[in-house]
Amino acid sequence: MDFELVLRNSDALFDGVKVTLAIALVGAIIGIVFGSAICALRIGRLRLLRGMARGYILFFRITPEVILIFWAYYCIPLIFDASVSGFWAGSVVLGLIAAAYLAEIFRAGIEAVPKGQREAAESLGLRAFPKWTLVILPQALRLVIAPLVNYFSEFLKNTTLLSAIGVMDLSLQAYLLGGKTYQYISFLSAIAIIYFALIFPVTLYARRLEHRLGDRNALPRVAKASFFSRLKLPRGAA
Amino acid sequence: MIDYAFLQSLDFSVAWTYLPVLLGGLLINVLLTAIGFLCGGIVVGTTLALANLSSHRIIRWPALAFVEFWRSTPLLVQAIWVHFAVPGLTGIATSPFQSASIALIFNVAAYCSEIIRGGILGVGKGQFEAARALGMRPYATWRKVILPQAIRLMLPPLVGTIISIFKATTILSILAIDDLLRTASRLSTFTFQPVEIYTTAAMLAFVVGAVISTAGYYAERALKRGTAHGL
Repeated sequence: MDFELVLRNSDALFDGVKVTLAIALVGAIIGIVFGSAICALRIGRLRLLRGMARGYILFFRITPEVILIFWAYYCIPLIFDASVSGFWAGSVVLGLIAAAYLAEIFRAGIEAVPKGQREAAESLGLRAFPKWTLVILPQALRLVIAPLVNYFSEFLKNTTLLSAIGVMDLSLQAYLLGGKTYQYISFLSAIAIIYFALIFPVTLYARRLEHRLGDRNALPRVAKASFFSRLKLPRGAA
Repeated sequence: MIDYAFLQSLDFSVAWTYLPVLLGGLLINVLLTAIGFLCGGIVVGTTLALANLSSHRIIRWPALAFVEFWRSTPLLVQAIWVHFAVPGLTGIATSPFQSASIALIFNVAAYCSEIIRGGILGVGKGQFEAARALGMRPYATWRKVILPQAIRLMLPPLVGTIISIFKATTILSILAIDDLLRTASRLSTFTFQPVEIYTTAAMLAFVVGAVISTAGYYAERALKRGTAHGL
């Protein structure tokens, strides 16, 4: 490994890190906002909206991310007759995918709040708004934080997929530098370490939260288990 | 906003014409999924899980580092790294498909080893102690007591990983493997009809994903049914 060469090109790599973090930020905001909305529809009373939310979650959890990103990048400009940059097309798609996962995580958190809490709030005469903001959501949030952080570590890995449509994120920067200097191994090893340094702390933090906040039996499997097992169908969706 | 004239000009017959080509690409994805799950998830995953449970630090710590590293880096970076580093380090030139398989196998193995480890740890300590109290030797303890219970615990989440392995295989198309995505992108530059081609590709992937996850869901349910309440 040629450390000196990597260090000499650290500016380009740092630009890549910035793009990667920007994708993560945009995607996370879209994911949290949309995810909450879809979760609300998913547990709401209207059957039609509930079905739509379920369909949305199913579709975005099952279809491979890269295919959706390619679809958005190549098809949206044609369908909407507008120019869309790879960065925005990709981050929005990643955000929409995140929304599907987060909706399920939020739902699991809300459903894990014991039924007695809701009944107690109702018997105290609380209206819907204080019932949710003062009783249910604070308790649900506590249960949701660990799986949320855990998903974010997976989400950071997905940001690399945007390099396939030419977004200059960390992985594409390294690949291009590797091509320029014929030192693929140096640059690819360097970014592997950078990605590890970005993602591993998040994973560790999620694990710590899980230990500290986790009421081990409170959350259903969907949210508690590892990334891979969380990808299975939501209960009853098939 | 929406370009209706363009939408009306869409002609999905092109997708029908090239459907066999797209299905051929999809087959590569399914093949890689099978390789990833069987070689990576089951074989290497079990080895890693056992290494992680070893009582010797010399074995356990490298295995732990390996698992954490492969879990905390993106598959795309791993795939490119393997493709360029393996020939450089070993002198053996790997084809894109081989590199992709290697990266996928290790990536899946790292995830699955945690599930397998969890399954083995999920069998209570009391079971080991009971087997010992009955005078069973290690082999018999594992064969008759621990593994039958552990396998029941780990199979449902293992089956659940297949869908995410399938999703991960599409990432490997960056190494120029003629899988579904690369086939689609080549067809779209060739026919100048990206909307039709990519939409069909996404639908095909969704259908396969839905089949895998529905099968996985029923398999999980069937496997859970056999689980005794004490586990």
